[in-house]
Amino acid sequence: MSEEQQLRRSVTPWGSYSWGYADVGADIFVALGLVIGVAGGASNVAFLFAGLVYVCVGLAYTELAAAYPVAGGGQYFVMRGLGDFLGFIAGWAVLLDFTIDITLFAWGCVGYLSHLPVLGVLDASSHPILHFWIVLALIAGLAMLNIIGVRESTAFNGFVSAIDVFSEALILLLGFLFTFRPELLIHSMQTGWPNTFQLMNGISLAIISFVGLESISHAAEETSRPASIVPRTSIALILTILIFALAYSNLALGMQPWYPVPHDAAGHAQAFWQFLGTTQNQDKAVAVMASNIPYFGLLAAFYVPVFGATLLLISSNSGVFGSSRIAYSMSQFQLLPSVFKRVHRKFKTPVVSIVVFCVLAAIELIFAALQGDFGYEFLGDLYAFGAAASYTLVFIALIALRMTDPLTPRKFLIPFNIKMRFRGEEIYFPLVAVIGFIGIFAILVFVLLTHHIGRIAGPSWLLFGVIVYAVYRLRKKLPLFSSVKRDWNRDQVQILKNAGELELMDELVGKLKARDPDFTAKVT
Amino acid sequence: MNPIHVTTAGAIAGFATIAAVFATLWWMLHPPKTKAEIAAKRAETTLRERLGTVVVVFSSEIQSEHMMALAARLARGQSSELLAIYVIEVPFTLPTNAVMEEEDRTGLDVLASAEAIAKGSGVEVRTEIVHQRETAQAVLSIAKRERADLIIMGSYREGKYTGAPLGRDIERVAADAKCDVLIGVEGKHGSLLVDEATQPSGTDEPRENSTA
Repeated sequence: MSEEQQLRRSVTPWGSYSWGYADVGADIFVALGLVIGVAGGASNVAFLFAGLVYVCVGLAYTELAAAYPVAGGGQYFVMRGLGDFLGFIAGWAVLLDFTIDITLFAWGCVGYLSHLPVLGVLDASSHPILHFWIVLALIAGLAMLNIIGVRESTAFNGFVSAIDVFSEALILLLGFLFTFRPELLIHSMQTGWPNTFQLMNGISLAIISFVGLESISHAAEETSRPASIVPRTSIALILTILIFALAYSNLALGMQPWYPVPHDAAGHAQAFWQFLGTTQNQDKAVAVMASNIPYFGLLAAFYVPVFGATLLLISSNSGVFGSSRIAYSMSQFQLLPSVFKRVHRKFKTPVVSIVVFCVLAAIELIFAALQGDFGYEFLGDLYAFGAAASYTLVFIALIALRMTDPLTPRKFLIPFNIKMRFRGEEIYFPLVAVIGFIGIFAILVFVLLTHHIGRIAGPSWLLFGVIVYAVYRLRKKLPLFSSVKRDWNRDQVQILKNAGELELMDELVGKLKARDPDFTAKVT
Repeated sequence: MNPIHVTTAGAIAGFATIAAVFATLWWMLHPPKTKAEIAAKRAETTLRERLGTVVVVFSSEIQSEHMMALAARLARGQSSELLAIYVIEVPFTLPTNAVMEEEDRTGLDVLASAEAIAKGSGVEVRTEIVHQRETAQAVLSIAKRERADLIIMGSYREGKYTGAPLGRDIERVAADAKCDVLIGVEGKHGSLLVDEATQPSGTDEPRENSTA
């Protein structure tokens, strides 16, 4: 890759964090109401369990992104650990997730705005055609922003993320301060505890609120000093999202709202958490909670829909970012045609990837719009499938890389490892990865069993991808199921050099020379 | 509307949430520094500590206007004290306190220019005209009196560096000063220190930036 065709290394720690937050931060706005509706008084426990799986996923991504700071994220890790074919499968699954992400959150953004009295005309159910065109315009606008350059769109993400973190923290502070009753929390948990199936269902829904760490991995290639910065931003993101999810769910169960809770459809009195979990409030649970905080709620009724829409917009933007970076990485490694790594001469961004995947997002929008009232559910099903499939492979790849690539310096190592020897090298077998694999694989199975659209459309997407892959590889006379030969050691030295991690590069070269005195690293 | 009910548990939970979020973000935004960053910081600190007083030297033969501009920028960045001196060599045929009106007048003009250059860079400069038998001796005396950390001198009027000695005074200052000496010599193809007003027009030789 020529120097002028490399992605610019311009993302700061806050930029890296905000790319992840842009993706994950908005999920709680969607998941909170859904989880409360299913798991009831055990919603906080559901978020805690899902959060534990999420912590495993997050730790895996943290270690891998810091060790291999290149664009591509899960796709690159799986390709490196398990070979080209599975790397393609993982990348293609994540591409599904990110193109869905573009559409789903752009749709949600317009939906939130429609809660404002003056913008009620944007409502999807009452004005579906106008809603469709506005969502399409948003997708086109985000494509343009990302073509202009990562610095510009990182600044955009960073600004909105800062506002959102502050706003969410304010809602939680005022909510706990003026409405929280600990005895009500205990009462809600005792009286609203679900059965085991509902609890498991709630946990599977809660994991949706944690999807999106992939974005930090994608920004790693453009982050300054990634081996040092990416672990920090990943861990900070894991903690922030976990704190928000646990705080919101506990507040919801123990909240004494400012306004009296209306009776349910049958005329019976209901608790506030039951009110949040009803169909009409599920998609705006955070806004309903905020509007029930004394005095602040008067402002929040207007303010929260605006910042909710803004956050959903940056989530959509992170989908553009993620999909283009994955395609860039995949084409670098001959998993996709080379046109996807073409970088714009002036802006130095992968313009073809951005355009192609925004067009795919627009096509998904058309399919979703054709589903009528089930359009949102259609997108959500595919979202869950893509995430679960790729994360499952990432855990296997993490274990494989620990065994096959023990020399690469890992500035961040997941805790709880078993020290052993493998092919003459000392390795650390990660127990957390095994736990995480079991958790995320269970969720993948659960998605296939319970999501009636996801279990058809998701595998169909993968099948379509395999056909594209097979045609491309056969035309290029490349192996289909085995991998192209690569010198990963020299590549890794170059990666660390490009990342500015010169101390880690020296460490790796030292280890490689100790193993093979003739090893020479030709870095450019 | 329900009454507002503040509980201890709620207050603790609210402030703990805020504290946890912002502490996490603070930790994230303060990563440990690399060796290169630490070295750069150390060099910067050392320079700031050491660059107390900077003396810029002018004389009838030493032109330092461009070096004055450089010194002013340096002084602004490092908060250094700036002193511009104009040295008048008193011939041995005259007493040291002889009146040299014409030379003094030239000196005043040169130092006025130096003040204007410094003002343009937003820094204050002290000026002084010194009568001495030898320029080098004057510079060394002033540097010693001021406890200068850096002496900045321009080149002789003769023009571009051709490989010949820099000049007796410049070489002596560089050899005997108790501090660092920065000498601006116009390179053969240099353009940074060229006084455009004194250069012949129409030069089409290729130019590269070079300073000594």
